[in-house]
This record gives sequence, structure tokens and C-alpha cells, in this order.
Amino acid sequence: MIPDLKWLDDPEVFRVNQRPAHSDHYFYKNSAELATGQSSYVQSLNGPWQFRYSATPQERPLDFYREDFDARDFDMIKVPGHIELAGYGQIQYINTLYPWEGKTFRRAPYTLSDQLTPGIFSAAADNSVGSYLKEFDLSPEFIGKRTIIQFQGVEEACYVWLNGHFIGYAEDSFTPSEFDLTPYIRSGRNRLAVRVYKYSTAAFIEDQDMFRFSGIFRDVNLLALPAVHVDDLKMTPSVDPDFKSGRFELQLKLSGAALPTAQLKLALFDQNNQLLAQQTQTAAEKVTFEPIDFPKVTLWQPEDPYLYHLQLEVRDQTGQLLEVIPYDFGFRRVELRADKVIYVNDQRLIINGVNRHEWSAETGRAITLAEMKADIATMKANNINADRTCHYPDQIPWYYLCDQAGIYLMAETNLESHGSWQKMGAIEPSVNVPGSNPHWLAVVLDRARSNYETFKNHTAIIFWSLGNESFAGEDIAAMNQFFKDSDPTRLTHYEGVVHAPELKARISDVESRMYERPANIAAYLEDEPAKPFILCEYMHDMGNSLGGLKSYIDLLDRYDMYQGGFIWDFIDQALFVVDPLTQQKVLRYGGDFDERHADYEFSGDGLLFADRQPKPALQEVKYYYGLHK
Amino acid sequence: MAYTNNQLKLVYGDGSLGVQGHGFRYLFSYERGGLESLNINGKEWLYRVPQPTFWRATTDNDRGNGFSRKSAQWLAADQFSACTKVTVKIDGQVIELPIAPLNNRYTGAETAATAEIDFEFTTNTLPTTTVHVNYLVSPNGAIKIAVHYLGQADLPELPVLGLRLVMPTSATGFTYQGLSGETYPDRMAGGIPGTYHIKGLPVTPYLVPQDCGMHMQTQWLKITRASTQNNADNDPVPFSLTIQAASQAFNFSCLPYTAEELENATHHEELPLPRRTVLCIAGAVRGVGGIDSWGADVESDYQISAAQNIDFDFTIVPER
Repeated sequence: MIPDLKWLDDPEVFRVNQRPAHSDHYFYKNSAELATGQSSYVQSLNGPWQFRYSATPQERPLDFYREDFDARDFDMIKVPGHIELAGYGQIQYINTLYPWEGKTFRRAPYTLSDQLTPGIFSAAADNSVGSYLKEFDLSPEFIGKRTIIQFQGVEEACYVWLNGHFIGYAEDSFTPSEFDLTPYIRSGRNRLAVRVYKYSTAAFIEDQDMFRFSGIFRDVNLLALPAVHVDDLKMTPSVDPDFKSGRFELQLKLSGAALPTAQLKLALFDQNNQLLAQQTQTAAEKVTFEPIDFPKVTLWQPEDPYLYHLQLEVRDQTGQLLEVIPYDFGFRRVELRADKVIYVNDQRLIINGVNRHEWSAETGRAITLAEMKADIATMKANNINADRTCHYPDQIPWYYLCDQAGIYLMAETNLESHGSWQKMGAIEPSVNVPGSNPHWLAVVLDRARSNYETFKNHTAIIFWSLGNESFAGEDIAAMNQFFKDSDPTRLTHYEGVVHAPELKARISDVESRMYERPANIAAYLEDEPAKPFILCEYMHDMGNSLGGLKSYIDLLDRYDMYQGGFIWDFIDQALFVVDPLTQQKVLRYGGDFDERHADYEFSGDGLLFADRQPKPALQEVKYYYGLHK
Repeated sequence: MAYTNNQLKLVYGDGSLGVQGHGFRYLFSYERGGLESLNINGKEWLYRVPQPTFWRATTDNDRGNGFSRKSAQWLAADQFSACTKVTVKIDGQVIELPIAPLNNRYTGAETAATAEIDFEFTTNTLPTTTVHVNYLVSPNGAIKIAVHYLGQADLPELPVLGLRLVMPTSATGFTYQGLSGETYPDRMAGGIPGTYHIKGLPVTPYLVPQDCGMHMQTQWLKITRASTQNNADNDPVPFSLTIQAASQAFNFSCLPYTAEELENATHHEELPLPRRTVLCIAGAVRGVGGIDSWGADVESDYQISAAQNIDFDFTIVPER
């Protein structure tokens, strides 16, 4: 296949040769590896890569992917990381308006006309390009196995080549993109080339209120798939209406040459590693295990996030172990009952929540596991029981940490298009995407699917969120329907349907609003409300703020259908720089990089400062969120 | 001369009233319009006379909802209000302002059980209003300071109403009995009562410098310094000043900067070198709000109406 630069311009081209999205399970060669957490089936490609920055697509080094390309004059860049924070390309913070505001006139394709706009990004003067090269020696463990490359996050569109051969194309900055390298991988030295574009049509639906970066900003791994491999695992632990017993169901999708003769062994353990159940099955492309009854389940809940442990072994016909898969899961039951109140485990759900962008003052959205763990500890210490992954899927470990810590998740899909309909505070949706536009349907459905398929096994997730501030139309209704069809065990959330009340019956299980005044919430709840009420954003903690939280917490006592909210937001977005005048390390915010248009200090709305020191308001959150645990 | 235990020594100067006792020496200046010198054990505690304060550095929420624009008169009042009247009471009796030639009749040996000096400030707002700052000195040197703001319905809401005391050098820290952390009337439920020591004069590092560091519901506050501007003072021993609640708990912030200095900076590194101690004792504190940062006002219970009288008091107690 020949890669085409025009894909950047076409909202209907967003994944080429990508593997289907699948569950985020880890897999190991054997129990010894499992015990250490180091899988020989994974080869990290993080680290220094060769790099060339080009200000426009036209200036990119055309043949850089060829094996005979002389890249001795390339720079070096650290992967994962943002191109802008490595000193290439201007840093920009902007909220609602698109980053090219006032510089390049753009309307999303298929809005003002029924056509594409040729060159809208592929020939654009503002679309910077990162050409990445990585030479690596294939780990001996990989030889003879299928080799997959997994990019966990590349912003915002990327083309991949291996050893001179085109491999594939991906958009969606915040979900893993995987490609099969098997046809072209070599034992020994290989040459990987990745071309990253700052903009594609994805830019219209990735307009999140954040610093705008590009580059390979999350981990890059090679994965070796054994002769039989579990591609996807779907666990369904369910709790019976008596909240005492439950059952566990498991479906797998497998692949590999040795498939028909392989054997699968499932073992379930409690938290004390006591074996509770075992089952064997013969491998096939699709395997459904017999349901396993649990006469007595210990429920997963924020105060006691009890997790059971699954271990799945795949063996070939000789009994040789091919892979071991661990996964911890909890039993919890989410219900929207006839009284229009959401219950989790028979208790009325109360969300003491916060919105969390992934952020580091040093490295932007390329955050570390240590930072994630610190955030979990901060949440637990301050009675925060829920996180909305605003406004994109987070790194995979975050979901595991939330399972373990007992943090409810509203798992948000990577979708935000407020630049297409929010103009200087007014609502003007004439060029809104996705809207009801058929040309934008597939891409948003793909994002919903990636979110669901990747994270479906995480007990912590109780809501699927369709995205943020993207107005509402048939495309978002279709996303809602996708989640409903795929997952009856969780609820859907979307705030933007407030702008299209005629779609309320088809979008979102909850009435979700942002920054609504307490009196207006009471008015909704007094007026025959159709759905329970949640604030997906409230208490805008910009600067010295967070006054008046009591008025919201009091609503919890007045209305069962008021189920809490998510404070905006967890951590300031600001970047450390060295002030040239004082040589001090200081925090800089929007506009501080001479970028215009910018939204200046609006980037700093966190309960934590950008360096993760708590703001004084945090003690107030701890107090009020401690009243309804 | 030796001081008696229950009498203040008075010095009827030509521009000020000196009030002295064991270990303290105060100057109430008629021309400066306030307490010019608060000298305790030889250490000066005031850089300039205390002024009523009406402004807080605009918070992000104040900016978003237009509060600072609507209440901008108070920024001028914070900087340019003038003392328009001084009243002196000795042992509870009003005396005519004792300037020359009236004070020629004194000998230098006058004493009294109490001295009370009242400074009336007139704001440069439209319309104007007045603030009285009343100092009542007891023989032990304690100064009870009572502030009375005269309500004026035609003025915009107040950002704060307090008394600003600027000290010549930076404090090394302060200790107070009150609530943990930075608290405001609409954000103080999480403050845990206790006694807290704060090292230095921290400015809360909000991205844009803005009003910060308020402490609500305080019983007492002790500020410690270790340096003076007195060229003859080579004593490195830290020294302290204590402020106690009088008729009710008080609110304060203790920062190295005035509201105007904070207001002018868009980043912390733009703030001047910390050099003074700016103590604001606030009788009325506006809430910070939080519903949003682009229009929602602070909830009505936490706004400061300019129409109502505001009274508050506290006592400065010399340490011995």
C-alpha cells in the first residue's frame, strides 16, 4: 500500500492497517515473568530516537523512511515526549477556539459543502511535521513470533514504516494504535520510521482545553505474540440482585498458528490468593467459558476495592506454556433504577469527583507512573472518589490504579469540538462536527469503540462518557447506542445534549451539566426530572477559588437524584521554564510563549498547582467530600 | 524616670502625641494621620501609619465576573484616602487637639490611665464615606484598635474592609490560633482549628498573583521578625508582636506585598523582592466564589455590601 498525504485531509480516513482495538491485558511468557512484571514479550522502544522537525509538510524529508536514507544530520529526541517541549515548534495554550484562530481560515470538511477541502492540512503552512527514526535490534525472544508495534499515544496523526515498507496510519492521539510488523521485521537490526503530523482532520475533534502539542508522547512497545495469543479478553463479573452472590463470565478472542490445538486454563483467586475456581477450554478464535457462580461475593467499592484475580494460561498441544495473562477484577453492580437514581452495589451513588488532565509541569502530558500514583494518593487522602478522564482516555496504568484504589471512573472518549460551535461564549453550531454529519460518523464511532474495547475490563469504570463539549447530533447518538449495545453493565454520560433536548432520550443516562448554579439544579430536580443529575464539571478552581462548595453538597441531602459532580479540575496546566532574568525555575502559562491567540491563565484551574503541590482549597474538598462517603 | 504600673506617660508634642510605658513608646501623628511609631522594647513595628484597606488583588473569579471593574473606586480609596480629623481623649475625656500653642501648658510629666486617639479617614469615592480608626492605649501598653466603617448605599460592593499595617522588614514567620490553611468566608469549613506556625511570608503561588493568604476566625497572631532598619540596632535576637482578638475573632493576611503590588504582577517572578511585612486585619472579607470563573458572582452571603456599617476590633499586645 502507498501512503497518501491526503489522508490528513479526510475525516473518513483515520486508521489504515491498524489492528482492531482490544483489551489492555498484559501477557507474560511464564509465571516467573509474571511475578516480576517484566514480560519478555515486550520490547520497549522508548528512549532516544533520531528526529527531524519540519515546519510544513512540504519541507519534510521525503525519503526518510527508506533504508538507504542518510540520517546522520538528524537530531535526537526523547520518546515519549512532546515535540514542542523538546524545543521544536511553538508551545500554545488555547481553550475553545481552534489553534489556528485568525491565522488560517478553516471549516471542517463536509460542513459548508459536501466535499473535502484539498490540502486543508496536507498543504498547510501551520502543520508541522516530526520525522522520527529508530534503529533497534529485535530481542531474540521475538524471533519466530508475530511482532506488533504498539504506540500508546501519538498526537495527532502518524504514518509508520519499517525497513522501508509502509506499515500503516493512525489518528486518535489518546488511544493505543497497533500495527503488525511481522511481514517486514528482521532478526537483528531494524529501522522504524514514524512521521507525525501536528494536524489532520482529527484536529476538529481534538480541540480540548489544553496546551497543544504533537509527537510520540506515550510509550512505544514491540509486542511478541506467541504461537497462540489472547488478543482480547472480556470479563463480565456480575452481582445478583441479592448483592450476595454473583457470577463470572469470560469471553476471549485468540489468534495464532497453533490455535486449534492449544489449551486454555482459567483460574480465579480471591485477594488472599486462594483458588476459587478453575476451568479449561480448547482454544479457538472465539472462546466462551462456562459461567462460574460465586455464591458469596465480596463487593468492590471505593472504601474497600476488593479485587479478585484472574489468571489465564495458554498452552500448546505438548503442554508447553505459551503465555500467562493476569487481570484483577471486582464485583460491583451499577443500576439506574425506576426511581431515577443511580445505585452502585445497592447504595445510592454519590460522586465526589474531579476532572483530571494528565499533566506534568516538566513533561506536559507525558506523565510517569510515579505521577499517576501520587495523584491516586492525593485523591484518596482528600475523599475524592471519582475521576472523569477529561477529555480523552488516559494512559493504561491509570485504569489499573483506579481499580486498585477504589476510584470510580467516568471514562471519556477522545472527542471535543467546541471550536466548531462555541464562539466567544455564544452557541453557533452552523459548522459543528460531528453533528449529524455522515462523513464524521465513522471516526467518532471508532473512538468510542477504542475506548470501550481497551478499557472494558476495568471495574472502576461506571460511566462511558461520549466526549466533551461537542454539541449533539445523530453521530453522538450513535456513539451512545454503541456503548449501550456493547455494555449493559455501565451507564452513558454526555453533557452536550443539553443543546439538543430532542435527543435526550437517546443520549446519556444522566442529566449532565457543567457549572450550573445550585438554584438551577434544584429547579431541574423539582420539575419532574427525567434523569438523575450529575455535574460533569463544577467548582471552577481557577486561581483562588472553590468558594461555596457547601451549596452543592447540600443538594445531596435534598435530592436523591442529585448525585454529585466532578470538580474542575485536578491539576493546573503550567510549564516550568527558567526565567532568564532571575535564573529561577518558574511556572509559565498560556500566552507566555508569545503564542497568540492564547487563553492565558485559564490553564490553571487545578486543586493542585502544576508542580503537584496542593492548593489551599484542597482542605475544603477533603471536608465536604468527607460528608457523604 | 520610672514608669508607674498603672499610668501612661504622655508627651504632648507639636505634631504628635507620645504615649509611653514600660517597654513601649508610641507616637500618634496628627500630620501623618495615625499611629506613626509602634516601638516595643526598642524595636519599631511600623513602616508607615496604618491605613484602612479596601482593595484585594483581583482574583481570577473577580476578573471573570467583572467585580474589580464594578468596584474599582475602592482601589483608589485603598491608596488615596486621607485622614480628615483627629480626636484625642485622655482618661475618657475629649480634649481639644493639643497642638501649639495649646500644648505649651504641659510640663512633660503628664500621665493618664488611658489615651484614646481617633483618626477619621474620608474616602475619595463618589460619594465619599468615612472610616474611623480608634486607638485606645492602656497602661500596660495594650492598644485596642477599633475600626468603624460608615455604610453608604451608593457605593459598590467592597473587596475587603480592613486595616493595613506595614512593618519595616520581612517577618521570619508567624504563629496563630485559628483555622488551618488559607481560608475565606465561603471556603473555611475545611479549616481545622488549631495553632499554626507559618515560616516566612508565603505568597500562595496562584499562576497570576492575586489575593491570598487570608486566615479567618483567628484568636491571636504572633508575628516574629529578626531585623530592623535601625542602624544602631545590632541585636540579632528575634522579637515578636502579638495581636489578640477583642470583641470577636479576627481575620488577617500577613504577606510581603500590598494588594497593589500583587495586582500589578502577572507572574510571581515579577513581584518585588520581599522587603516588608504587610499585615491586613480584615473586618469583612469577600468570599472567593467558585461556581465559574467567567461571570458567576460570589454567593450573596459572602459579598460585602457597602451600605452597611462595619465594625471590628483587635488588640495589639506588647511582648515583654
